[in-house]
Amino acid sequence: MSTGKALQQSVMQQPEPGNSPKAGGRLARLFRTENMMLAPAIIVLASITIFPFFYLIYASFMNYALAIDDPTFAGLRNWVRLFKDPAVAHSWKVTLIYAVAGLALELVLGVGMALLLYSTPWGRNIFVTLWMLPIFVAPVVAGLLGWFLLNSSYGLYAWILQLLGLNIDIFGNASTALPAVILIDVWEWTPLITLIVLSGLQSLPTEPLEAAEVDGASYWQKLRYVILPLSARIIVVALLIRSMDIMRFIDKIFITTAGGPADSTKIIGMRLFEVAFRFMDIGYAAAIGLSMLFVTILLGQAFVKVMYGR
Amino acid sequence: MKKKFLLLLSCIAILSLLLVGCGGEQAKEKEDQKADVASGKLVPGPFKAVEGLPVIEAPEGFDWKQFEGVELNFISENTPPSSAIAANIEEFEKATGIKVNIQQMDLGTLVQKVGLDFAAGSSKYHIIYADPYQVLAKYSSKLVDLNEFINDPTLPSIPGGLEDFIPSQLKIDGYMGSEDKLYALPYDCPTMVLAYRTDIMEAIKEDFMAEKGYDPTPNPDMTWEQYYEVAKYINEHADELDVKYGTGHQAKQYDSLMCDFSNVLAAYGGDYFKNRNLGGIGAANPGEADLTSPEAIEALKFYDKLLKIAHPGSKSWDWNGLAEAFAAGEIAMAPEWHEFASMFENPEKSKVAGKVAWTTLPKGPAGSSNIFGGTGIAINANCSEEEKKAAWLFLVWATSPQTQLMVLESPVGGATPSRTSVYELPKVKKAMEDPASEEAKKMPNLTSMKATLEAWKEENSYGRPKIPQWPEADTIIFTELSKMLAGQQDPEATAKSINDQLNTLTGN
Repeated sequence: MSTGKALQQSVMQQPEPGNSPKAGGRLARLFRTENMMLAPAIIVLASITIFPFFYLIYASFMNYALAIDDPTFAGLRNWVRLFKDPAVAHSWKVTLIYAVAGLALELVLGVGMALLLYSTPWGRNIFVTLWMLPIFVAPVVAGLLGWFLLNSSYGLYAWILQLLGLNIDIFGNASTALPAVILIDVWEWTPLITLIVLSGLQSLPTEPLEAAEVDGASYWQKLRYVILPLSARIIVVALLIRSMDIMRFIDKIFITTAGGPADSTKIIGMRLFEVAFRFMDIGYAAAIGLSMLFVTILLGQAFVKVMYGR
Repeated sequence: MKKKFLLLLSCIAILSLLLVGCGGEQAKEKEDQKADVASGKLVPGPFKAVEGLPVIEAPEGFDWKQFEGVELNFISENTPPSSAIAANIEEFEKATGIKVNIQQMDLGTLVQKVGLDFAAGSSKYHIIYADPYQVLAKYSSKLVDLNEFINDPTLPSIPGGLEDFIPSQLKIDGYMGSEDKLYALPYDCPTMVLAYRTDIMEAIKEDFMAEKGYDPTPNPDMTWEQYYEVAKYINEHADELDVKYGTGHQAKQYDSLMCDFSNVLAAYGGDYFKNRNLGGIGAANPGEADLTSPEAIEALKFYDKLLKIAHPGSKSWDWNGLAEAFAAGEIAMAPEWHEFASMFENPEKSKVAGKVAWTTLPKGPAGSSNIFGGTGIAINANCSEEEKKAAWLFLVWATSPQTQLMVLESPVGGATPSRTSVYELPKVKKAMEDPASEEAKKMPNLTSMKATLEAWKEENSYGRPKIPQWPEADTIIFTELSKMLAGQQDPEATAKSINDQLNTLTGN
């Protein structure tokens, strides 16, 4: 029996509403072929995302600190603590600086590089491949590279800075550690912005650009009034992806500074990791994690609104 | 047909009688074995014995292969003893038929994995590297009381008895809250002592003595103030010396910072809690914090002052970073874990091989304090009875004097033993006494051992508070210290902040 016939048959076999008992009708609807076909995907999705999400909500109301395998009901304790904890507030502040500075640099450099590559008359593929190399490096390796280059004992960059008379330890100084980890992030992820924006540029309609050229527009005028407005949506998409990642990825910070010195690089993801896996306070960690999710959703919504001009 | 049937019946009857007879013999054999075991007579186990060391023994008739086929997972920090054990595990597996999978990782990952294993009520890891502060203090109820096996006359005993372990280490590594239950056996024993460059000390000795009136070479009577003075002098004369800075520290915002500061804190007579007996068997409730005591404030002030003249890299180094800088010849003196001696003496990894000496850490008003960082190995209480007994055999072997000696001599290991009897062996004694001897070259870790044995004396040893809340307490301490070193708060504000947070954490 073909699938089409089976589908037809299953639709035909549905009881008429009102002619059969209510429960039986509901059951039949539940087991309709399309539902049955969707079921495996729904079950897999539920098991890997929906169930942990609801479990996270449950955990945020429990206290695991006393006995990790026997949590007790904590009411709103974890949530109240979340809003009162100065350490969490400090981590959000660091996250804000880290994300805004990182995204701004990645945006400027990424878009600039995409425009350069877009205008390159030859060898674009080679340049793109070379420019993309950092993306292929695992974040933890990017952190290690940064650590090796800036290490005060044997780091190349540290040695150059020492030759210039700057005898400081970059990861050991509260005012230089955060810029250093931001720059490592910029090094690794700017190519992703370039890649996304370049793909957008390459799919731009040629007519407006040709019309601008006929009208005698300069490159800057074309950029300001044609290219950037037409690429705005794709740039927002790139920013949306990076803004979500920048909060979550802690590998580089974990390897280089572990959140220090003086908590100057402890972004909210690091704080969450510490509470969950060092203190094993799963309840409080769940509350922090959900607050991160909430902020990410808000950010996503804001970007989507910008994207559709609402 | 009838004859055939009778013949078959007869065959079955004869076969049954034979089987019963054999079974009877086997049962008798087992009974005899039980009688032997019950007789209390101990015989050496199937392991290589070393002259002068207590041997691994079991009751006569004990079947070392009774757990053949059992597979055990041993989770350990990536430390030298576990590397050496992994390289020599064949001896144990051959003798017992038990398969041991050794998984090594950094301590933070280990604590997470063990915590999650306990949370799930499972026994993915049967044998656990039980850090006294991050595993034992928090999860002692999830570990097997080893007295069950020690008091079982049918099982192998601890060679040399518990008395052969260093007593202070047995307390820290093995017990929690009281000495009623023993949770772990001492496995490794890193301790912080002072490493210094003999060539630098020789180079500055004459001028320094003329200027300051005392020998700059670190010794057990040196004070922290003198240490500061010597370090500063080396900084000022670094251009003329083969070194960049006088002192270096493991002051990264990490556990290492708490360890480094604790040496100064205890030497000045301070501690983290008013209850001063938390460093041994520990306690569930530590009582009030004590970082605002005059002694602790003095210690904080001194540590802040000391770090201002230390190698600038200090604030980004943990113990590994510090060791790399010392081995690269950048620092003349450093409080460091004694097990880095083998790295410093290895010409492939160190520019200062043959130029390093060790002594106990400088004294404060309350004497010298050298933090202990050793760990024991324990058995997960969620294991099956068979796994628990198999794991006990592993514990007996892995912590035995001969295995500890093997670890000491291993080219992949090099960790120092937690057994008194090993330190009494003539070759070990010679290596400790004479760093230029062949024995010392074979066991380079022993070059720091003379200082370490001094550091283990009760008056010189410091154990950080062993409390269930230690991971959080540790984080509070090193984070606030890091803020002080970054110039964001003064020592008094640091003391108050640590005190307040510790009291909130412990409910005092």
